[in-house]
Amino acid sequence: MALNNKASYEKALRSIRLKRLLSDNAILVIWVVFFAASLLFVEGFASAYNIKNYLSNCAPLLVVAAGLTIVTLNGGIDFSTTSVISLVSTITAYILVKTALADTIWAIIVAFLVGLGIGALVGVINGLAISGLKMPSFVATLATKLVFSGVAVWFGSVFYEKVSLPGLPAGFTAIGGKGNPNYWFIPLLIALFVFVLIEWLLSKTVFGRRVYAVGVNPRTSQISGIPVRRTIFFEFLLCGLLAGLAGLMYTGKNRAGITTLGDDMFVNIVGSVVIGGTSPAGGFGSMRKTLYGVLFLTLLSTILNLLGIPYTLYDVIKGVFVLIAAGLELVTRRMNIRAAAKAAKMG
Amino acid sequence: MHEYILEMQDIRKSFFGVEVLHGVSLQFKAGEVYGLVGENGAGKSTLMNIIGGVFPADSGGMLLNGEKYKPVTPRDARDARIAFIHQELNLFSNLTVAENLYIDQLPKNAIQAVDYKHMRREGGERLKSLGLDISPNALVSDLPMGIRQTVEIAKALLMNARIILFDEPTTSLSQKEKEYLFATIRALKESGVAVVYISHILEDVFELCDRVSVLRDGALIGTRERDELNKDDIVSMMVGRKLEHAYPVVEKEIGEVLLTVKDVQAPPMVKGCSLELRRGEVLGIFGLMGAGRTEFVRAVYGIDPLKGGSILFDGESIQKPAPKDCISRGIAFISEDRRGEGLLMPKPVDDNLILAKIDDIATPMMKIVPNAVVDKLTDISIQELRIRVSNKKLQMATNLSGGNQQKVVVGKWLMLEPKMLIMDEPTRGVDVGAKYEIYSLILDLAKRGSAVLCISSEMEELMGICDRILIMANGRFTGEVHKGSFDPKTIMNYALQGGEENG
Repeated sequence: MALNNKASYEKALRSIRLKRLLSDNAILVIWVVFFAASLLFVEGFASAYNIKNYLSNCAPLLVVAAGLTIVTLNGGIDFSTTSVISLVSTITAYILVKTALADTIWAIIVAFLVGLGIGALVGVINGLAISGLKMPSFVATLATKLVFSGVAVWFGSVFYEKVSLPGLPAGFTAIGGKGNPNYWFIPLLIALFVFVLIEWLLSKTVFGRRVYAVGVNPRTSQISGIPVRRTIFFEFLLCGLLAGLAGLMYTGKNRAGITTLGDDMFVNIVGSVVIGGTSPAGGFGSMRKTLYGVLFLTLLSTILNLLGIPYTLYDVIKGVFVLIAAGLELVTRRMNIRAAAKAAKMG
Repeated sequence: MHEYILEMQDIRKSFFGVEVLHGVSLQFKAGEVYGLVGENGAGKSTLMNIIGGVFPADSGGMLLNGEKYKPVTPRDARDARIAFIHQELNLFSNLTVAENLYIDQLPKNAIQAVDYKHMRREGGERLKSLGLDISPNALVSDLPMGIRQTVEIAKALLMNARIILFDEPTTSLSQKEKEYLFATIRALKESGVAVVYISHILEDVFELCDRVSVLRDGALIGTRERDELNKDDIVSMMVGRKLEHAYPVVEKEIGEVLLTVKDVQAPPMVKGCSLELRRGEVLGIFGLMGAGRTEFVRAVYGIDPLKGGSILFDGESIQKPAPKDCISRGIAFISEDRRGEGLLMPKPVDDNLILAKIDDIATPMMKIVPNAVVDKLTDISIQELRIRVSNKKLQMATNLSGGNQQKVVVGKWLMLEPKMLIMDEPTRGVDVGAKYEIYSLILDLAKRGSAVLCISSEMEELMGICDRILIMANGRFTGEVHKGSFDPKTIMNYALQGGEENG
């Protein structure tokens, strides 16, 4: 390349960086605009109560979406997250209320361990089916989702005789921010911890680099010495564990075991990951992006609620915004790709 | 009739304010095979894309049979009866041959549904009339690469193309398929089609072309008639300097045996192969397509299952080879499929370079990959291998030229300082200048005491860099020649000994 082109090349590079910054943070920008507008124009939004409420709605969603982010980075999907939430809720409430341990500190400890254990168990089954038997994650997790949400409903029907079991001790509901007005920040701390941990895991560790590499091209990864199957196994194990943790948080938040707790959550979980900008095809995205997606989707629900929009219209409006947001994200990403390709041709 | 069927006049094109074509003028004649050579990045693809209507030129014009030709979409090029045969074939491998032939103008029947019957019958007849023995019902994915290319050519002929542009058409073909392709191209020429032939393989260009033009850095350097073609001349026009030798000369010493392979089997392609490889030695494996050379090294490296035989490496027996295990023993492997198995195409250059090294540089307990180390190592690699990349974090592997892509793959493995390097087709789709650099890298590695096992279908390349060549045919080694007594005829005779034709 001739020297007199250097300046224009530098200019092109700057423009790529700017576009990349924009496309990386598109949803964050939209969120800021919406948040600011809500503060100004939506009655009841700018109150401490509401902001607390908004954040505590974000917290468990971020935890379960963190797990799905890892799986999505590999081009996979995990339908079973919602069934883990339902099953964890059903079983832990039973332990806390109906077993001989009830009303002791042991009940709470056992409930936590069992909750995480259920998540890990489902994760291990998914992981083995997908990495060992090479089943598509779509099929494997659809099957485990059916099995475990089925188990939850069955368990409830036999041992609860209804769909929910209230009366959980305050020591347990604290994990969902309930039981004492001062507990509200606990789920936020958990979510923050999970966010930092997964962001660190994905961006700084060997495991993270492997996740991205396998997500782009498992053949290249294998030949370059990456343990592809082990990586996939741990992705699903982590996803299950985090879904278990989220199940505990949701159960505490609702102060009851609910056998169908996770049923209508899937759209929000997948929505957060994908709206945030993690590609369902794998290899591209981050924990940070999922945070934006969680903040945005939850904000939308909060606004609709405050505006008194009929519940029946929620999905319609959410869907429209999701389309707009996803479209914007896509446009900026394409700009980005084109710019990079052009710069490469010149370089 | 005009003298030239297509004339390009002073074509200029810029991206981002940087001119990549500096006023190129070319003239193509009907009934002529026109060769276009140049390093990757010389502007050949840009030129093709302008002819094909993928994007317009900034200035300059084109005349098609004397009339103004200004394509806006690829469809305009098709309407003008200009066809392209790309390096990566543009066939739908999940569809049948007939469906592929008619893909852009599917015949309809009375109720406006696709008329498969008509398509099969007509398609079959057209194929037969072209002298092709291919069933129109065959799935493209079931056909060998050579036949697939013939289907592409048939597609071009079905649209009655006046101009056909071939872009690196022989990269995935066996010798026999190549000869068939050349015969087809000559027949096309006889029938008055203008053929434009773009290739890195100068021997092919010399064999086929009536006129050859050299492009370099977006400018036309020169054009030679058939009778004044001279390899040194063309090569120095391409690289802008006179190459002393096409292959680097490196003084090195051959040490003790590093790898002993005995009677390795990997059915159905590998039927018992044994070899010894010494430190500092560059051993070539030559064979025609389907001889089993790729399958042999893949079994040794553990990508494909090993079904018998023994492997002794560096004094230790490898029972069940697997890539990760091989890497930790000091074996590196460069696949023939750079895009599918060598690189993370949509990822940046630095991520690609460090891929096999992340375990080594990670902190022992927390397994953190220190970014500063990644930065340093990849910088060194880019510098030492002279990888042409302006920003390693922003530039993706997919945006690099073939030669630079291959350098990234080589760089990834050199970072591990391997005791042995296995390379399958190390310079496929790589331009002349980068080829020379890659040969130097291989030989330097051998000079430092590593062993190199190199597979290639370019015999000349093996004769240029190897100390010894094993010839493989039909799943077995059929011959061995040593440096000093390399002779193309001997090698080819060994390669043909398998008794089976492959195609």
